[in-house]
Amino acid sequence: MAKPVLEKEGKTVFLLGNEAIARGAIEGGIGFASAYPGTPSTEIIETLAAVAREVGFYVEWSTNEKVALEAAYGAAMSGVRSITAMKHVGVNVAADPLMSSAYTGVKGGFVIVSADDPGMWSSQNEQDNRYYGLHAFIPVFEAYNPNEAKETVRMLFEFSERFEHPVIFRSTTRLSHSRGPVKLGKIPERKTRGTFEKKPDRWTLIPAYSRKLRRKLVEKWENIRRELEEWPFNKFYDYGSKYTIIASGLAYGYVMDALEELNLREKVNILKINTPVPLPHGVVLKALERSEKILVVEELEPIVETEVKKLAFEKGVDLEIHGKDLVPQVGELDLNRVIKAVASFMNIDYKPPEPVTNIDVEIPPRPPTFCPGCPHRATFYILKKAANKLRLKPVYSGDIGCYSLGVLPPFEEQDIIVEMGGSIGVANGLAHTIDQPLIAIIGDSTFFHAGIPGLINAVYNNAPMLVLVLDNRITAMTGHQPHPGTGLRATGEKTIMIDPEKIARAVGVEYTKTVDPYNVDEAQKVLEEALKYVVERKKPALVVMKRACSLLIYREALRRGIENPYYRVIEDKCTACGVCYDFFGCPSIIPKPDGKAYIDPVTCTGCGVCAKVCPFNAIVPGKPASEEWNKLWF
Amino acid sequence: MVLEVRDMRTVNIVIVGVGGQGLITIGRILGNAAVLRNIGVLVSEVHGLAQRGGSVIVHARIGDPHSPLVPLGGAHALLGLELAETIRYLPYVNKNTLLIVNRRFIRPSVPKARMPPVEDTINKLRGKGLKVIDINAFDLASRAGSPVAENIVMLGGLVATNILEGMLSLDDFREAIKNTFPPRWHEVNLRALQYGYNAVKEKLSDK
Ligand SMILES: Cc1ncc(C[n+]2csc(CCOP(=O)(O)OP(=O)(O)O)c2C)c(N)n1
Repeated sequence: MAKPVLEKEGKTVFLLGNEAIARGAIEGGIGFASAYPGTPSTEIIETLAAVAREVGFYVEWSTNEKVALEAAYGAAMSGVRSITAMKHVGVNVAADPLMSSAYTGVKGGFVIVSADDPGMWSSQNEQDNRYYGLHAFIPVFEAYNPNEAKETVRMLFEFSERFEHPVIFRSTTRLSHSRGPVKLGKIPERKTRGTFEKKPDRWTLIPAYSRKLRRKLVEKWENIRRELEEWPFNKFYDYGSKYTIIASGLAYGYVMDALEELNLREKVNILKINTPVPLPHGVVLKALERSEKILVVEELEPIVETEVKKLAFEKGVDLEIHGKDLVPQVGELDLNRVIKAVASFMNIDYKPPEPVTNIDVEIPPRPPTFCPGCPHRATFYILKKAANKLRLKPVYSGDIGCYSLGVLPPFEEQDIIVEMGGSIGVANGLAHTIDQPLIAIIGDSTFFHAGIPGLINAVYNNAPMLVLVLDNRITAMTGHQPHPGTGLRATGEKTIMIDPEKIARAVGVEYTKTVDPYNVDEAQKVLEEALKYVVERKKPALVVMKRACSLLIYREALRRGIENPYYRVIEDKCTACGVCYDFFGCPSIIPKPDGKAYIDPVTCTGCGVCAKVCPFNAIVPGKPASEEWNKLWF
Repeated sequence: MVLEVRDMRTVNIVIVGVGGQGLITIGRILGNAAVLRNIGVLVSEVHGLAQRGGSVIVHARIGDPHSPLVPLGGAHALLGLELAETIRYLPYVNKNTLLIVNRRFIRPSVPKARMPPVEDTINKLRGKGLKVIDINAFDLASRAGSPVAENIVMLGGLVATNILEGMLSLDDFREAIKNTFPPRWHEVNLRALQYGYNAVKEKLSDK
């Protein structure tokens, strides 16, 4: 069975949007790929990493998005085609080099994938990164299904190289995480080594050179706009109607299905746009001239709509233009929303099929939870006990990762969550303005990503806080990617393992410790000691809670056929108090009809923390861990 | 039970359950089968946070779809791998939707969560006039050789209905399973597919 993404030219395979983007990059001849994981972008680089050696190009997980973008930019300066991919908020982290890249341009084709998240399925905001294109003078391309995404990305390398300019491919959750048939093209030879030509007036952005480059950039922008008149995935379907719907990216698919549903196929003109920034004026003008009424359908912000209105104004075309007055600006588009908008635009009545909703069965909510054996659950439990014992009411400055789930009951130990690295960053301000003790809680991947400058600041400006690094030995939230602390690279080679505690020591944190959260009593002692140190000495301290992600180990055990250990409940001792399943909340512990606890031997990972939690000592080892099982942990 | 004749270009299926139950795999097999037969297909899934034991919905549209999401009230079939999630996603269902459900609740680990009784829940669904076919996919999968194949049992159940009639056959799904899994998983999954198929066929001929 060949890997679907490497199937032969001419074959049609069923690919995830992100796999299609990866295939597009392979067909586009990349020699270099770098990224930092983030939903919904992660599988692009994962797919590339899995085939990098076979095809022959370089792939890395970088420390963060800024470094990832810079690395790919550097490779493109040397003439090697490169790609970087990140979630929308990752582009904020990488915004500095992004802006510069438009000034210097590149030599090799350079594609930046921004995977936006309308609907905020796994993000802190809903920003529309097409604005980055307008802001930075970098053209933005979209696609409406995986096949078009593959083709577009493939063509972008040549486009970028021709203009010696970076390009943004903007995906969204629904494109990146939809699967569809993709017709494969040729996998070409590729260039993986380049040359760097010294040219200070191009590569050094000192003011004297930047001023010239800025002028050139604005000129280049209009050239690019003109070139996009010919972009093959922009298309005007003229059915002789006085109504035209302009649909950008994924919205085209919803519009097509909405017209089908409303029996209006081929009765309304459609202008399909995949290049919202810069919007080519010629194709739009043609549509405007043929119409009396326009509806612009696009997800999130009115970017195409604004440009269309501006163009109509400038050209003195008098017609009705609708957009965000009918299409919601907040949240993801879907068929219901687009049908509603189109029906109202066309002035027709539409009655959707009536959903069945009112049924009298009560079901509890199902938020995501810590997995069985999750070391984060143990940490939050221990931390709560330590704080209670010292009668402290700390402010928990939280961060982004699986441990963000600590915001929910029963733990409620994430008082602030804003962005990656924000835990330590925000605590740097609070430390000088509030009286409560501060605990900054940050994951291992997040610590390397953006935590270290904040930590240095805390030492430099003496901001008392306990920094807890929840080191589960992996980037868990985004699906288990290695990072600088894991000793592994994206393509599986072993490398140096960077230790967060040593970094803390090196930058001058005087109190540092590393403990295992499964070792409940010792970990609690350490946390108490560290908290006392911060409160009494008024200095920063750092403790690494080190224990690998149990889901990662459990899956590895499944793969290798290694049996898991488990704990069990002694019926006679269990009083049905519910502490283990209601307040510790391990999904492997289930209440029986009589309220007594039962531990599911299939999913239990034998961490044993619940045995410490049970007030009646009713939980004991059921099956001990085998040697192979213990060896899986690192 | 008599199923009405379908007349539509695109079949909308929602697959619902709990993160970790293998919903994405069902979508992949459906898509692989459609691609084998050269039929249009789009499947939309959820990654990231929700996979940590959260509530999951996978949308599958087969025929001539241009967009990936099933509209509310627009599902022709709902494949419910867990009963609480079946209830949660009822807004996708209309009175003609066929529900193929797993007789099983999975308790979310939220404080004080208690689950309603299985039989009662299924009766209440039927009480709404819905067409419900219930099977015990967990037991069937265990009998097929692995409880993990619960998802494939449910897929077999879907294939046994007339939802994909004229588009995809049981054999197409056999082939798609072989294209989706490594060889050592073929036997168990093909058996799971068949058990689910038989169980639903039996239910259909009962009534
Ligand atoms: C700027 C930015 N990049 C990427 C992400 C996506 N993301 C969310 S959490 C996370 C990493 C979490 O890893 P870690 O800190 O090790 O915590 P874990 O999930 O393993 O507990 C990432 C990459 C993001 N939210 N913001």
